Amino acid sequence: MGKTAIVKIMERAAGKPVKVGDRVWCKIDWSTARDFGGANCVLQFEKEMGADAKVWDPDKIAFTFDLQAPSHSEKVSTNQKIIREFAKKQGIKRVFDINNGIGQHVMLEAGMIKPGDVVLGTDSHMNLLGGVGAFATGVGNSDIAASWINGTNWFRVPETMKIEVTGKFQKGVCMRDLLTHIVGDLGAGGMDFLAVEFTGETIDNSTLADRITLCSMVTEMSGKVPIIMPNGEVLKWLVERAGPEVENRVKELSADPDAEYCKVIKYDVTNLEPLASCPDAPDNVKPVREVAGTAVDQVHIGSCSNGRFEDIKAAYDVLIAGGGKVSPKVRTIITPSTTEVQLACAKAGMIEKFLEAGIVFTNPTCALCTAEHYGALPSGDVGCSTTNRNFIGKVGKGSHTYLMSPMSAMATAVKGVITDPRDILG
Amino acid sequence: MGKTFAEKALGRAAGYDVVANQVVTVEPDWCMSHDNGAPIARTFKKIGVKNVWKPERIVFILDHAVPAPSSDHAVNHKEVREFSAEQGIKHFYDVTSDGGVCHQKMCEEGFALPGLIMVGSDSHTCTYGAYGAFSTGIGRSEMAAAWATGKIWFKVPESMKVVVTGKFKPGVSAKDFILKFIGDVKADGADYMSVEFHGDGIENMSIAERMTLCNMGIEFGAKNAVCRPDQKVLDAIKDNAKCDRWEPLWADEDAVYAAEYHYDLGDIEPGVAKPHKVDNYAPISEVKGTKIHEAFLGSCTNGRIEDLRAAAAILKGKKVAVRTIVIPASWIVYRQAMREGLLDVFLDAGCVICNPGCGPCMGNHEGILAPEEAAISTANRNFKGRMGDKDSFIYLASPMMVAASALKGEISDPREAL
Amino acid sequence: MSEILKGRAWVFGDDVDTDLIYHNKYLAETDPKNMPQYAFEYYPGKEHFAKEVKPGDFVVAGKNFGCGSSREHAVYCLKYAGIPVVLAETCSRIYYRNAINNGYPVLFVKGISDAIKQGKINDGDQLEVELSTGTIKDVTSGHEFHGDAVSDLENDIMQAGGLMEYLKAQAAAKK
Repeated sequence: MGKTAIVKIMERAAGKPVKVGDRVWCKIDWSTARDFGGANCVLQFEKEMGADAKVWDPDKIAFTFDLQAPSHSEKVSTNQKIIREFAKKQGIKRVFDINNGIGQHVMLEAGMIKPGDVVLGTDSHMNLLGGVGAFATGVGNSDIAASWINGTNWFRVPETMKIEVTGKFQKGVCMRDLLTHIVGDLGAGGMDFLAVEFTGETIDNSTLADRITLCSMVTEMSGKVPIIMPNGEVLKWLVERAGPEVENRVKELSADPDAEYCKVIKYDVTNLEPLASCPDAPDNVKPVREVAGTAVDQVHIGSCSNGRFEDIKAAYDVLIAGGGKVSPKVRTIITPSTTEVQLACAKAGMIEKFLEAGIVFTNPTCALCTAEHYGALPSGDVGCSTTNRNFIGKVGKGSHTYLMSPMSAMATAVKGVITDPRDILG
Repeated sequence: MGKTFAEKALGRAAGYDVVANQVVTVEPDWCMSHDNGAPIARTFKKIGVKNVWKPERIVFILDHAVPAPSSDHAVNHKEVREFSAEQGIKHFYDVTSDGGVCHQKMCEEGFALPGLIMVGSDSHTCTYGAYGAFSTGIGRSEMAAAWATGKIWFKVPESMKVVVTGKFKPGVSAKDFILKFIGDVKADGADYMSVEFHGDGIENMSIAERMTLCNMGIEFGAKNAVCRPDQKVLDAIKDNAKCDRWEPLWADEDAVYAAEYHYDLGDIEPGVAKPHKVDNYAPISEVKGTKIHEAFLGSCTNGRIEDLRAAAAILKGKKVAVRTIVIPASWIVYRQAMREGLLDVFLDAGCVICNPGCGPCMGNHEGILAPEEAAISTANRNFKGRMGDKDSFIYLASPMMVAASALKGEISDPREAL
Repeated sequence: MSEILKGRAWVFGDDVDTDLIYHNKYLAETDPKNMPQYAFEYYPGKEHFAKEVKPGDFVVAGKNFGCGSSREHAVYCLKYAGIPVVLAETCSRIYYRNAINNGYPVLFVKGISDAIKQGKINDGDQLEVELSTGTIKDVTSGHEFHGDAVSDLENDIMQAGGLMEYLKAQAAAKK
């Protein structure tokens, strides 16, 4: 019987054969923290180990500022300062300050992430790095602080679920809709503690942005880690950024053809339609058509799930097809995931058109998705967003949010009510 | 005996001749409020009047915390939205790409016009003097009363004449002059007074520079600050004046002043206001080398395209050494900067460019300071704790000095960076 | 002989997310002792939790407790409120790790999600919990439940008082 990708990855990290169910100590390739949780890690590390204690390897630690960039409160500013000073003291060079964007995306662009890397971060959507085959997982501050002691941490080797995707998306339908479909299908606990390999022709032909989207929401189904081994254009992109070692890793760590899966699920996207996660849970899924006409007060496009250039471009195409203006009844906010994405949007002339349309274009950050930041909602408002959570009150007490694709979100912004993008794209 | 600008403007509004120290009641041409429109609306409702006197004279511009960074701010914005809809207030700038810092919007949208009486529930309302308006900040209760009655009383102020001649040397700008001036006359130097800027030094300035001067009027106690509405102003308002009630007014040659000052701009050097007072002036030589943690370019004082150009010229092709926050004063400025390639310059230099608004200026969001941190900022106030922690430090300076300092991580002379 | 914990039940449903337990509004807090005051502030009908909770009370929940964010605040705010153990059908993996890493017990209790829905266990019920056996008695309703024991490694970490303590002890043992 062959091995799944996660078993191979954990064997590499543990330096010994492992089997499903084992608790193993793994070598950590990157132990990272954000301006959220980062200060907690630092304070905990210094309290437990002493102010003069050294981290195991400053070149394997990174900090990213995206929760509030720039900071909106004295407490967050203080936390950011604690991180900056710790990094300086410890000789940690990878500090992505407030001018960079969402952590995982920034690290990807910086060429830090290779397939098979074990990456920890104080972000429950760390696992979107599974989109390039890394074993990345969100953890609390204790896990991070502990890993700084000797560069290891413990994990249970998870069972693997395989999801095979075939077919081509129709116009107006995209990877986000497939993801929403899966969340609705499997539910909030549908991947409890599992590793998930996404395969099939639809995945093989998808962009990096699409893979990031797909992997980002495995957390919303309680999955442990999603894995898509890079191929084609994504592999080329990653080799350019992270070096030739990437190719060896793909060869070494891809699942065996006869690997054992606890479950195999197949999806065909050919007849998929635009979907929305309705208030107040990601797994409360309905077709956009079914909730069409619902008035919304704010549309937000961005986040680690859908803040890449391709996502913003897809929204842009809907905007232009819809006449180039958003409804004056709706506040529309676009937040690119990184400065690189922001620059690409500017070079493509898209920002100019967004501003003409009446849209607010912010600096790269997590925006409303994390702690109170751009786009918080007042009580009674209805929001529409490409982020990944719509738990009750998450972006403001008494507010409600529909999650959907960038295309559906922009169609909604154009019309002022929830709208199926196919009604605009034809 | 001749009349001052304040006597002419308030007399015109009152409909009869007035002199300094007389109390007059006038109808405001515009009443501007920002996010604080919400508490004012609550006060207004307590007065017991159902409708505002003239909805077309009221302007709302959300800028202090946009898009809302917290649900509390969001609730506040919602109240302004609902009040506007309920009262039929059409001049409402919401969280869209039409927005920006209220004072910048009032000027670029054609509200700020010569001779008008303009009040705003924000102390920097005095900015519109750059367009020859009599404009001043008022409190929230007074604004609620103005909405209800359409009337506001003023004691006609005595006037101060500031005669400015000559031209700046390279690396020096209107901000350096006004900081030096405030350092000389102190924070109460023009208490209750109308401040008139005269002389060829002012005529040589762009409207943007004049806005910087008038904006800072409140920092030395002025009720209002004003420049002569010359051809530059008339050209600027030609196509976008929001009403035709305006009339260019200026002081008579033989007007009587309570105080008079003379400055030659050629004598001005780069300078800062040190913590924690705006009148705590120091020339660059005294503060050069002071370590900073944050640089902020923006605000109603210095967030205009001219300011961004000046800073970009210094930053081009280089990297900042500290976190540097650039916030254009409005989306019109943002778009112009984008067309000119300035946003690329800032991003390549490692700055973060936020959406237009007040940013960290009054400690609301986008760059709050932690304890023991110091910032160099183009904004207008450096009071203790204004941008965040009570143990943080703010140095006010020109856009050029902020850019030069950002590159080194310490306060630096822009003349050396040029 | 293991100790029997006694206290009142605070009962919650399935999929209680981290924003409901500890809202993102207070994420900048770094001192765990300050966190209990915000516990369940956003949970409809449980806004009074922080004020009325007493040390020794239990949190009882259905499936997937603590889903969502990685914030350890969601563990601290209960631990420092004096809740000795969380009793849930299941909890999210990050929440579970965070609890173990702080030496804070979570008992996985089969059937409790349905029991909550069927009203077999209610707010204010007196519970008796024996951690070593996983036995939970609802004295008020008379129902009894059983929780799963944790694996050896998790138990070792728990016994050490948390992950940091565990690693420190390991390092000391090597020397």
